[in-house]
Amino acid sequence: MRRLSEDMKRAAVIFISATIIFSALVYVAVTPRPKEQFFQIYVLGETRMAERYYPDDNPNIPVGRLVQWYLGTTNFMGSVQYLVIKVKLGNSTIKAPDDINYIPSPAPVLLELKKVLMDNETWEFPFAWIIGEIGEEGDMTYATVLVIKGKDGVEVQRGRVGALNGYNFRIIFELWTFDPVTEDLIFGWRAGGEQRAAWLQVWFNATKPQTS
Amino acid sequence: MSLKGKLSPLGAVLLVLAAMLVGSALLCGTLNADRHALAFGESSQAVDRANAEFERALIAVREAEAAGADRERIAALVERLNFVLGRIDEAEHLLLQGNITDADAIAQQTIDDSTGIALEAIELYDEASLKTYYEKIFTFGMAPVASLLVTVGVHYGWKFWRRHEVDRMMRMKIKKVKEPEEEE
Repeated sequence: MRRLSEDMKRAAVIFISATIIFSALVYVAVTPRPKEQFFQIYVLGETRMAERYYPDDNPNIPVGRLVQWYLGTTNFMGSVQYLVIKVKLGNSTIKAPDDINYIPSPAPVLLELKKVLMDNETWEFPFAWIIGEIGEEGDMTYATVLVIKGKDGVEVQRGRVGALNGYNFRIIFELWTFDPVTEDLIFGWRAGGEQRAAWLQVWFNATKPQTS
Repeated sequence: MSLKGKLSPLGAVLLVLAAMLVGSALLCGTLNADRHALAFGESSQAVDRANAEFERALIAVREAEAAGADRERIAALVERLNFVLGRIDEAEHLLLQGNITDADAIAQQTIDDSTGIALEAIELYDEASLKTYYEKIFTFGMAPVASLLVTVGVHYGWKFWRRHEVDRMMRMKIKKVKEPEEEE
């Protein structure tokens, strides 16, 4: 058998080494880097900033006074996501959502807002509501909250809940997503084998309209 | 005094007729209610089917995206999915208001829309998978090509350097180095 010349041997070594190095570089370039998957949910005040959540900065909301917020969510999951924001009306005794065991609040659902979001897409929309009426039964004050459609002022949904002396009502926003594994909506989202949850709440008090 | 004694045969016939009329009216009412319940159930099933088809379309779009489909085309499908979502909401609203006919019509329409989106997404998936596959083959195929170029470059570079070194050696002249003692 003819022995390989020194040049050929050198060329073979260089070729094999270069192929290994280039293949590794291509693999690194082609394989997508794992990134943190999460959602962002926020609520802004009437100035579209994290301030002025109540008219005149007073959390005692009189009947019939419009409260304007902006609700937003951003998808950082790296893929198309179907999400539902459940708006719930609660008081201080109703359980808040449980982030550890991923249990949503048992408060009655006022409204469900649904949207399919692209990766890195933000969905922000106005959320206006008023206290339609309040009624008293003993120490309890019952408030009927109406959610108003931003543009035409039409009522889209209503819910009624009671609180002691009209104090400590809250509107809870829960983020639900479509889980492709169970093919159902889940509270929060699943990322990297574990579930996570995101929710918000804003407290307010319901007051009677001032009589002149 | 017995009741039998008081009723004339004509009265008895009239009573029987009246009872039959009431019975048939009640039966008709029940049938109508059943028909209504049946229609509501069917419409509700249509909305359920619309939701199921929407989820199928969503999964298909997600798979197309994962296969590496073009972002703009995915965005167009997502827009259509959001339209379907709005229509399903509308159908559910109408169903709650008792407008079964319209709810059913909208639900059926959304089923067709979702099926269309799913089919398009499947096509997009196939297209994107093939494209991604060829792109990967091309990219990995470039590694040996690049290695070959490097090898040829190094080989001729080495040869050139060696020849240069040999030439340099050949041009060297022997010089006598003067020792410091000799200089004195």
